[in-house]
Amino acid sequence: MKSVMNHPIKVLATGFIVLVFLSLPLFWIRFICETSITTGMPDETQSIDRMQPCGIVPAELENDPNVAHHSSVSARLHTERLFLSLGIAHYLSATYPGAGRSNVHFLAGEEWMYFDQKSGQLVCNYLDTQIMPDKGARAKNVRVFIGPKGMSETPDKTLGRFTEIIIDGSWNLQNQRSSRELVTYDKRLRCFFRIDLIKRIVVKGPELPKDVPREPIQIGRLQKNDFSMYFDWWPPRTRVPGKNPGDDGLRGAYQPIIPTFYDGRAGPYVLVLDRTGRIDLLDRDTLEFVRIACWRLPAPETYFGTAPSMMPKDLLAYEVRPLTLSKFYLEDGRLLKMTFGEAYEPERAASRVDREYLGMFATSVSRDGTAMALAVFDAQGNQIKTEYTRLSQSRGYRRTDYLPSSKTAYWQARWAPVSTISKYLAENLHPPILSLASYFTASTFEAGSGHRALFLLPNSFVAMIARDSRGHVAEKLFSALWLIFPSILLAIWLACRVTKDAAIVGLSRKERRWWMLGTIAFGLAGYITYRLTRPKVTLVTCANCGHPRRPDMDKCHRCGSSWHIPELTPPAWRVLDGAGTD
Amino acid sequence: MLALIKREIQDCIVYFIAAVVFSALLAIVLVEAVFNYDSRNPPVVAISLGVVLGIIVTLGLCGMGAGQMYLDKTRRISAFISTLPVSRSRILLARIVSGILAILILLVPLAITATLLLLVFTPPIPPIYAGIVLEISTAAFLLAFACYCIGLQTGWNSSALTPTLGALGLTCLFVPLVVVKGFGPEIVLILVLFIAASLFRTWHNFSSTSL
Repeated sequence: MKSVMNHPIKVLATGFIVLVFLSLPLFWIRFICETSITTGMPDETQSIDRMQPCGIVPAELENDPNVAHHSSVSARLHTERLFLSLGIAHYLSATYPGAGRSNVHFLAGEEWMYFDQKSGQLVCNYLDTQIMPDKGARAKNVRVFIGPKGMSETPDKTLGRFTEIIIDGSWNLQNQRSSRELVTYDKRLRCFFRIDLIKRIVVKGPELPKDVPREPIQIGRLQKNDFSMYFDWWPPRTRVPGKNPGDDGLRGAYQPIIPTFYDGRAGPYVLVLDRTGRIDLLDRDTLEFVRIACWRLPAPETYFGTAPSMMPKDLLAYEVRPLTLSKFYLEDGRLLKMTFGEAYEPERAASRVDREYLGMFATSVSRDGTAMALAVFDAQGNQIKTEYTRLSQSRGYRRTDYLPSSKTAYWQARWAPVSTISKYLAENLHPPILSLASYFTASTFEAGSGHRALFLLPNSFVAMIARDSRGHVAEKLFSALWLIFPSILLAIWLACRVTKDAAIVGLSRKERRWWMLGTIAFGLAGYITYRLTRPKVTLVTCANCGHPRRPDMDKCHRCGSSWHIPELTPPAWRVLDGAGTD
Repeated sequence: MLALIKREIQDCIVYFIAAVVFSALLAIVLVEAVFNYDSRNPPVVAISLGVVLGIIVTLGLCGMGAGQMYLDKTRRISAFISTLPVSRSRILLARIVSGILAILILLVPLAITATLLLLVFTPPIPPIYAGIVLEISTAAFLLAFACYCIGLQTGWNSSALTPTLGALGLTCLFVPLVVVKGFGPEIVLILVLFIAASLFRTWHNFSSTSL
């Protein structure tokens, strides 16, 4: 009785073990195919080369008569680094200071900051340069505890508690830290804070209205998985007198028209990325959003077209870089110098600095890492330029058309069809019910996690169809079913085999029905589970129907006849002692 | 129960000695890697050695499980012990406890070494790499135990070839799960479910086999 009760649990246990063992080799097949698809992409489709001029540099600099090369922006996919999305690499990189799973927001030598979850306060350690009476500089180690209500050098409960805090990611950059000013956002309190380490004050911004669906996820430096792409911006350049391009390469022969630094700042603003992919400008002084316009992460051209907008979690990687022009003025109002960005060392001769936000560059990489988009936005929020990774189609010497890089990756590159078909076949050996579940949950998983998915496959072709913004829901579902048709066909065939075998081994009608449904749902995994858990009894021939029957059952499971047991009737004759009867 | 565990340990004493030796070797490799760490030249030799030792350890634990069950099946040890006032579930439990002990002998010194190294070599910031040793140790323990469970399942066989090749093949297939999923909560969930399923299957097969 106990054994009968335990049988379904044994089947479920076996089924899970089989599913794990089946999913692992299928994962590696898919991974090899996906790596082969991305690394095999033609060179042209892996980069967006030199968008020139970039479009947001002021005309007086861009069109200066000395300019030999206009400003340019370019981006490149690092397709060979897809393996860094694997779980072990992802785990190790996420535990580094400043990464997603670490409470340490940055660590640079003696300077660090972490969020103490126990006290709900930020603990910041930094080196403060003090001028001594002998006019010599001395670095002093300062540690402060920061809460929403203030900061002090000793832990203090009156400072209040942060709950879920996001800090300005550009604080990892030395130029940004040198300002000793930090902007943070608390997800629970729904407001921004400005922390001034010099004045030792914490300024709380207005609470975001609850009816406005804003959910900031990153501030300051907006980037994700920067290992999978490379992004570069060049200012307008002039010739270096006395040097030829051939002497020392291009870098030696040309120099930026004005000094250029990357400090991650957006002038008087801070970039704020929302969960929806919207990018806002936050005024550093008022801690309120600037109502100029809103920017969005560009959507790459995927295999099934371009979506109007992309959420950060739908992208494998992205990076947003603001561009600012800093103007340093002397006390008499004369312009001292201009720079793109700002240097780490403050300009001591300047009495006033004007920081003008010029716009931003945003790049994004599609989930599967086969497409990239690069967009340039001006200060008013207009998307002035957008480029996608594409392959040019030419007839003779004439470019006739462009093919999106994702389509090229799957079909045009060398060996790409083999990898694509192998990936498709591996996906069709996956349980049909999980493929369908992947369709319905296609957009719920973070893009990077799709590269380490075992059971639900957000990077499968079925999930790609589900994310396609075009077409009717029913049409998409039908397409998805058509795509997993081989898998369904295989499952039905295996279910027929299971049902036939179950009838032979004498399983009840109810059990057979369950096995049929289970095998249709789980395909190959269901079939292997059945083979491992089916009753292992040697059948005997039924005397009534002649078919094999179970020896451990009272009645034949085919004809229902009982065992033919010859009646043990005593014989009519007796062996008697003859002498006695006579 | 203690007598049963003691008997299991005595039967697998080779594996326990090997666990001590491998634990020491892995600790040496870990210390070597940390002492000679250079971000520009990662300690490739130490990492490779660590990976090789890790593979041998997981295969060894699988072999331990398979060996315990195979010897029992062929020599009918549990059938004999069952004639004494001991249930089969207790025999299996003692076996599993001995397996867990072997894994702990292997991993606990390693976890202590890693904790000490982190204390010495990382900046004195309280939460830096907080929980990393615990998370990696938990995942490593569960992975090692899952491999042992694979051995328990494949070992319950009268033929010598199936436990050897089956356990070897399945372990080689299973261990890369850590590469796919890392050391986070996802792998813990998968491994806990896998271990529960494996132990149930082993118990079911073990207790329902006729004496």
